[in-house]
Amino acid sequence: MSTIPRVSSAIPGEPAHFGSVLAHQPEIAQSFFALYGRFWGSDVLAARIKEVARMRNARVTECGFCRNVRFDKAVAQGLGEEVLDDITDGYETSDKLTDTEKAVLKFTDALIYDPALLNGEARAALQRHLTPAQIAELGLGVSLFLALAKALITMGLEPEVMDRTVLPTPAVLEAAE
Amino acid sequence: MSAIQEALAGDPVLSQHFADFRAKAEGALDAGLVALIRQAVASVHGIDAVPVDDSALDEGTRVCLAYARRIPFEHTAITNAEAAAVVAHLGEPGFVAFSVVTALADAECRAALVGLPELAGA
Repeated sequence: MSTIPRVSSAIPGEPAHFGSVLAHQPEIAQSFFALYGRFWGSDVLAARIKEVARMRNARVTECGFCRNVRFDKAVAQGLGEEVLDDITDGYETSDKLTDTEKAVLKFTDALIYDPALLNGEARAALQRHLTPAQIAELGLGVSLFLALAKALITMGLEPEVMDRTVLPTPAVLEAAE
Repeated sequence: MSAIQEALAGDPVLSQHFADFRAKAEGALDAGLVALIRQAVASVHGIDAVPVDDSALDEGTRVCLAYARRIPFEHTAITNAEAAAVVAHLGEPGFVAFSVVTALADAECRAALVGLPELAGA
């Protein structure tokens, strides 16, 4: 896995990172940030749940950037490091993750790794804990997390080193609504 | 309609944003290449798609499809040389769009494989 950018920054003076590389395609960038802001801005599914799924994806896909970012809205909803530490293999036995979060993690694993993991019991648990509208939003989120992580990795945009960084949660872009 | 779009039927605003993002990404590439990328990725996932016959394609397209086929299960193993070959064929803006379209195609196949639309009541 390369930490050397495979594409240059499109913004003069800025190093290659997701935003500066995506600037090669301004229309895609604008549309992505509008979608991502709308997704995170929706409260159909709590930010904490979305962040649990995002962190699982980050760890399974080996996205170092995604792994080190925390979104503030989820932190404010009580998602601390002691909980995040349990989002690893064996999360099923965690006493810090809720049953809803465990069902979400199983769905996340099924989507990003092996669909067979969403067996009858796991599927029933997901549907017991989340409404269809929440599952739709979760499915969109996990799909975007996965695609974003793979795009970052394959474009060589993984940081060599990165501190844990709390960022403002992406917000709805008024101009895009 | 993709599995994600189908699942989002109950949220027209989010659905429209997703459709717009997908259309912008795909619109930045040749439509024929987009179709081949989707077909190649779906074939890797074993989804009902006829495998692409590379023999009739030009070298640049073959390079792109070989790269796309590695996205579902080997994304961390793609080399700098493989990426450089795609950049040489598509240019940097094209490579950015290609990276988005290919990764999204993979995610959409996976959403279909878990039955996302049914789970979302679509």
